[in-house]
Amino acid sequence: MLGLQLAGGPRVRSAETAGPDLPFPLIERFETYGAAEGLPGHKIQCVTRASDGRLWVGTYEGAAVRENGRFHLISTNAGLSHRMVMCLVEDPRRGDLWLGTMRGLNRYSAGRITTYTQTDSGLPNNVIYGLAIMNDSLWVATAAGLGMLELKTGSWKIYDHNNTVMHEPWVYAVKSAGDRLFVGVWGGGILEFEPANGIFKEHRDPDRDMHFDLTPDDGPVSDVTSWIAWDAGILWQSTYFGLSRYDGSRWRTWQEKKSPLPSNFVNFVWARGPVAWVGTDRGLAVTDGSIWANYRTTDQGTGMLEIAAPGRPVENRRMTTALPNNFIHGIWVDDHEAWLATADGLAHAFLAAPRTAGKAGDAKTNPATPSFGRN
Amino acid sequence: MTRLVKPPERMKKPFLIFAALWLAAAVGWCDGYPEKLDSNTNHLLEPILPAGAGANLLVEGDYPYYGNVPVEMRPYRNIVPHFRYWLTRLPFRGPGRDYPDPPGLSSLKIGLLSPPNYGTEAKRGELSRQGVQLAIEEANAARRPGELPFELVERADSPQWGSAANIAVDFADANVLAFIGTIDGDATHVALRVALKTETFIVNCSDPDPSLTETQIPWLLRNFPDNRQHGYLLARLIVEERGLTNIVVLRANNRPGRMGVRPFVDAVRRLGHPVLQEINFKEGERTFETSITVLKQAQPDAIVLWGNPAETGLVAAQLRSAGVKAALFGFDRLVDPEFVRLAGLAAEGVTAAFFFDPERTDPVWLGFVARYEKRFGQRPEHYAAYGYDGTKMLLAAIRKVGPNRYRIHDAMTSIDEYQGVSGYMRFDGRWDNIAPIVYAQYLGGKWHYLPAPPAKSTQAARN
Repeated sequence: MLGLQLAGGPRVRSAETAGPDLPFPLIERFETYGAAEGLPGHKIQCVTRASDGRLWVGTYEGAAVRENGRFHLISTNAGLSHRMVMCLVEDPRRGDLWLGTMRGLNRYSAGRITTYTQTDSGLPNNVIYGLAIMNDSLWVATAAGLGMLELKTGSWKIYDHNNTVMHEPWVYAVKSAGDRLFVGVWGGGILEFEPANGIFKEHRDPDRDMHFDLTPDDGPVSDVTSWIAWDAGILWQSTYFGLSRYDGSRWRTWQEKKSPLPSNFVNFVWARGPVAWVGTDRGLAVTDGSIWANYRTTDQGTGMLEIAAPGRPVENRRMTTALPNNFIHGIWVDDHEAWLATADGLAHAFLAAPRTAGKAGDAKTNPATPSFGRN
Repeated sequence: MTRLVKPPERMKKPFLIFAALWLAAAVGWCDGYPEKLDSNTNHLLEPILPAGAGANLLVEGDYPYYGNVPVEMRPYRNIVPHFRYWLTRLPFRGPGRDYPDPPGLSSLKIGLLSPPNYGTEAKRGELSRQGVQLAIEEANAARRPGELPFELVERADSPQWGSAANIAVDFADANVLAFIGTIDGDATHVALRVALKTETFIVNCSDPDPSLTETQIPWLLRNFPDNRQHGYLLARLIVEERGLTNIVVLRANNRPGRMGVRPFVDAVRRLGHPVLQEINFKEGERTFETSITVLKQAQPDAIVLWGNPAETGLVAAQLRSAGVKAALFGFDRLVDPEFVRLAGLAAEGVTAAFFFDPERTDPVWLGFVARYEKRFGQRPEHYAAYGYDGTKMLLAAIRKVGPNRYRIHDAMTSIDEYQGVSGYMRFDGRWDNIAPIVYAQYLGGKWHYLPAPPAKSTQAARN
């Protein structure tokens, strides 16, 4: 492939050209799905692939499940408690799919929907932002606390300011991580909870001031958590002030302009091994904390890939396909594909095979992560 | 007269602060959302710089930095932080501006989230609602042929945490183009998080919580000068104008009290005079003997009150009965007939930060007063004025760009200045009104409104 040199600008190549060795696969191309393909709305909030291979999509106009290449609508007419589906999680032990909406929780089981609201169950609040499964319990992040549903007994327990260290009960994300949970608290940073021991630990932004970040890498970049992800022992925090990573002993933080992070406004983060897939309002970023691959669509509709690696000039590549929209709400990734919930359509991203010895899901075999230069 | 703090007294400060915190814990942890000691111990302790210590004056950006905080009250003012936020306004980068207008509209719906119609905020909520209502009635009366009328969709919050989230969803289901509300900081916070997801703009005309706009959600404009403006002004009046340095805070043990005094407490610390005690009282408390006993140990020369008149009026009276002669200061809620009634003689000399001079005689204000009095049979005050102005701003934006939530967002977030019945407004990088406020002094049985003095020691952060 021929490279293109823009006059006075960065080097632009096609996406297939060779680049630096990467600790994660690059996206080769995108396919887009919208109303024409059977999705109920174009604003996509969340997406997940269940263990049976079915793809579940939450939109602002209901949910959809993709089977045999076709989307089937699950709407309020079918019993969904509200049209705006904010989050999805599969209960792998039972094969149920849980859907969190702007007005209540829904269990989709064997084609039937059961709803839970704050007036007919132990749900803390009807507005649900996040869901997580831990063994036989479902954890629900709501606008008024963290709810826990014992799936074997159907009993609820609420975790809020009364029985945890959280100062105020606004909970916006929850992620199971082996024997513990990480809970994103609005203004309260991240709570680390060991259910077996009943121990809560707070992770807070040390400088405590919202209008600046005093020093980098000193803790969560902000106390206002928008989402959290965890895999391979690494916790990622997305915020509207940047991105944070915690490996159990050390924090790293990234902000726009100070790093390759394309925007401080980070809606979502998905962890796959040591790699984060970061959904911002300016496109998708994929990083292990050292090397970055940023995907965005230009104003002209062209897909662009920007690769930033320590000690190398930033490399820009033109793609043959593009994200349907740069505003990304949700992400699901495995070794072969990624699904991206955007504000204007669902994107299916096809991944190239990684070209290094490291592979996703195996933190130990990936190269060391040199610190990125601060400027 | 400036009173210098001698070294031995300085050494007492850590003990007094500890005692105040212990007292707060002992008497105050009974309310719905109590304060907790922080279990996280990795936070930084901001150094207390000596008064007059140098500052990094230059802050790049498009707007006055963080509420136009005076240079000498900036945190870590002698350090360049790793990253500063709100130097430019955060855009909304999602789609929507080109969406077609909703079909079949018969009205342009505006939501109004009010406090519960009972409890401590009910009266203020009703005054704000009347301001909103008057603006909508006037706009509908003035509409031209072909223009749709505005329709107010009203919902009252409940004291239950998260209630406002459910109401914000109701507004989305009702297809409101934007909504207005509310006084409670927590309710507005909760609603704002939903508004980010439903992509519905909020105009706030009554919440003084400084942290409301610190969540980096570009879907809210606040025309109500928040407690940062009040706190900075009080710090200047107390420390710079009157030279008072032994400062004690007595405040309500609730979220508004905790968040409300924070800018003041930070400001005087950064001026070199940390608050000696921060003592809490509960809503509904009637006797403050224990708190006053502890407070007297600090020998304060200035006491700052934050709370509702039902408590602060009694606090003022009991302070004077206990022989405390310190000058009394406070926030806007002292400027209330109930405070004066309960404080009695103790009201004399009280100084409070306030929004604007309600005794102005300019035609804009007098015209509003006349129309409001005619419509509601009572004289308007600041909640009504800001409610009226905020609604007028929103309605003008809708008339200009049509019934599209994203274009309404863009119209509202492009506002830099506004001249309303409440006065001149200037909006910063977070869409907070940072126009200068005034202060009120109760002298001779009457509140007197005075312009804020210019900063004495240094110039303001940016013009």
